[in-house]
Amino acid sequence: MEQTQNNLFEAIKENKNFFDEVFSAPDVPKEHYQKIYKRFSKFSLQDFQRLFNDAKNAFFDQGVTFSVYFEDKKPDERIFPFDLFPRIIPSTEWAHLEKGVIQRNHAINLFLYDIYHDQKILKDKVVPSDLIFSSEHYLKEMIGFTPPEKIYTQICGTDLIKHTDGEYYILEDNLRCPSGVSYVLSNRLALKKSLFDLFDNLKARSIYEYPEQLLEILKSTKPANVDKPTIVLVTPGMYNSAYYEHSYLAQAMGIELVEGRDLFVEKDFVYMKTIAGPIKVDVIYRRIDDAFIDPLCFKPDSALGVPGLMNAYRAGNVTLANAPGTGVADDKAVYNYVPAIIKYYLNEEPILNNVKTYRCGIADEMKYVLENVDKLVVKPVDESGGYGISIGTKLTKAEIAQVQDRIKANPRKYIAQPIMSLSTHSTYIEDTQQFEPRHVDLRTFCLQGKDSSYVLKGGLTRVALQKDNLIVNSSQGGGSKDTWVLE
Amino acid sequence: MLSRIANNLYWMGRYFERAEHLARYTKEIYFSSLDAPILEAYDRRFVLESMLYMAGIFDMKNINEKDVLHKIGFDRNNPHSIISSITSGRENARGAQNIISAELWEAINKYYHKINSFSEDVFLSTGLYDFSQVIIEQSSVVRGKIRSTLLHDETWAIILLGTHIERAIQTIRIINSKLNDILKIEQSGYSVNDLSFEWTTLLRCTESFDMNRKYYGSIPCKEEVLEFLILNQLCPRSIHYSLISIKEYLSKVSKKNSLEIDSSSIEFQIGKLCAHYEYLTIDEIKDDIYSLLNFTLGQLRNISSNFEQKYLYN
Repeated sequence: MEQTQNNLFEAIKENKNFFDEVFSAPDVPKEHYQKIYKRFSKFSLQDFQRLFNDAKNAFFDQGVTFSVYFEDKKPDERIFPFDLFPRIIPSTEWAHLEKGVIQRNHAINLFLYDIYHDQKILKDKVVPSDLIFSSEHYLKEMIGFTPPEKIYTQICGTDLIKHTDGEYYILEDNLRCPSGVSYVLSNRLALKKSLFDLFDNLKARSIYEYPEQLLEILKSTKPANVDKPTIVLVTPGMYNSAYYEHSYLAQAMGIELVEGRDLFVEKDFVYMKTIAGPIKVDVIYRRIDDAFIDPLCFKPDSALGVPGLMNAYRAGNVTLANAPGTGVADDKAVYNYVPAIIKYYLNEEPILNNVKTYRCGIADEMKYVLENVDKLVVKPVDESGGYGISIGTKLTKAEIAQVQDRIKANPRKYIAQPIMSLSTHSTYIEDTQQFEPRHVDLRTFCLQGKDSSYVLKGGLTRVALQKDNLIVNSSQGGGSKDTWVLE
Repeated sequence: MLSRIANNLYWMGRYFERAEHLARYTKEIYFSSLDAPILEAYDRRFVLESMLYMAGIFDMKNINEKDVLHKIGFDRNNPHSIISSITSGRENARGAQNIISAELWEAINKYYHKINSFSEDVFLSTGLYDFSQVIIEQSSVVRGKIRSTLLHDETWAIILLGTHIERAIQTIRIINSKLNDILKIEQSGYSVNDLSFEWTTLLRCTESFDMNRKYYGSIPCKEEVLEFLILNQLCPRSIHYSLISIKEYLSKVSKKNSLEIDSSSIEFQIGKLCAHYEYLTIDEIKDDIYSLLNFTLGQLRNISSNFEQKYLYN
């Protein structure tokens, strides 16, 4: 290996506890990272810092930001941290992931249809009924109703990690309103602007077709009696943290970005209010949670939703993507049964690994969890954004007792898993002005429509910027990386 | 187009236009006063009162430079301050981000960040000129992006409709403020033989000095300046020009032909106002400029609120 000309990589040391994505040993990058490593080794620190700042400014100017509000002070706008060192996935590794993600989403769709119709899987006792019926995301309004083309999860975001053994494991499925895809697209654009010569040497597969694919998928699940559907994206509004993404996707698909207050329902049809009068809406890509979509049906005080929307939906006059009630399948307690669900409906072995999960709702398993809180990750089954998670090795005695009390108070709400060692990836750390290993995961985006599936090549690599932190969510100080799938 | 989005676009046009006029007026009035020929008339209080008059602030108790500049420039609690106008303009653009071009959005966003990060201390001490200049320059960048990166469809027409309604209103306010200054000087007892300096300042406040010089080829005087800023159809800063533009952009939004326009409609109202202006002469109005300006302001408020009712809140 040729001598590096800077010391940007000095902090990369051997660590047997984690799988290093980039290096086999210090100064020895893996084959698919060699060209990038060589390129990065040639930068002077000043040049690299300049590129890093330029990329940050570009995000700021484009308004790819979130705001922190203060009283009596101007709001602080911040960008989501972006790392210039891309994560690379070799093509065979990706092919395996892609197949696994499609298989999983396919089985979950069949599962959702079943539990809202004949409930065969419950009658056959493959999945316990009480687990389903006790979930607040199991919606009685969906029982017996068949969404267009039997598709429940047009968009599925599956989170994966790589463990010490170098294998991918599924961390969780996001079947409600998975977000983050706009960062995938803007990260690629930012990296291309800053380091365009990298792309000469390595061929990364394109990701820009995502909005078109999403549009096709949405069209393919239009209501049966509509010829050319009018499609809209419903956002909670511009103060929502994902507003940039909503507006980006609406613009990229060429559809209207609407809020609940722009829509109304008349005789079970949905209309939007325009300067030329009402226009009928046929397909709604909604980025509002189930509980808020229709105040007549769910939360009565929701100002985000559209009164009467569920009736229009049940009358078959409008498609909602994703369908309401999908949250029952991404419940972290149901997660444990997904391998069984795949076998039951597809008669196939699961392609991707599940992490061993203990359900506190079962007495024996709760007993194990209570005794081993210090060695486990304990998660609430129904929260997102990394909230409410406790990592055993980081807890004090008092905190362990608190976790035990919380579990005992509401066992159904908690699951526990062994502490998975998220792989690490070299990441530029501004404070120390060098690359350091940081934990990463991968969110994939899988689309499913009538007769077709699509997985975005790569996905969103989220990185925990704080040293030794295992939680990568942006709400907890996480950043992201461009992710390349090689040709 | 969604009515809510139309509302955003309309107000975005209005807010950015408003910020620019206020910034320009504040700067011109302040700097012209430093070496004005009738210095006695121009104490600092006179200048600050003129700014407040233009900004529509009549309730300030202690008038001192720092407080006045803060109130007009940086007071986030004053919805009509320059910073509030730019913030509101950008928030409206953000709400319509998927409708406008990425180029326009980025220009607006950069504009906002430049102003938002401008130090208030610098503004209050030495930065009034720079601050206003940034606003004037960024405004033209935004105008350029509106013109060259948007389809010339209803999105574009609604932004420009808002822009021109606001421009007409602000031009009237500027003329009113300056006439008020001149009236004060005349009443102050100082002998005033030559007010050309005042008329020049008025032209600068509307960015029309060079155009006026080119059109008349003479030192600015009352009749010519007022004729130019009120009635001239070639000067893009005149009230008449703005009225014609309002009529034009409105017709692109409503898409009505002349047979479909009935006498109760906004299209009829603005058409009638344009016709009134077309056959006015400066001799008819010069002795009572205020009534024409106030009449026009009333008409514009009416047109604006009727437009909002019909298109934006349905």
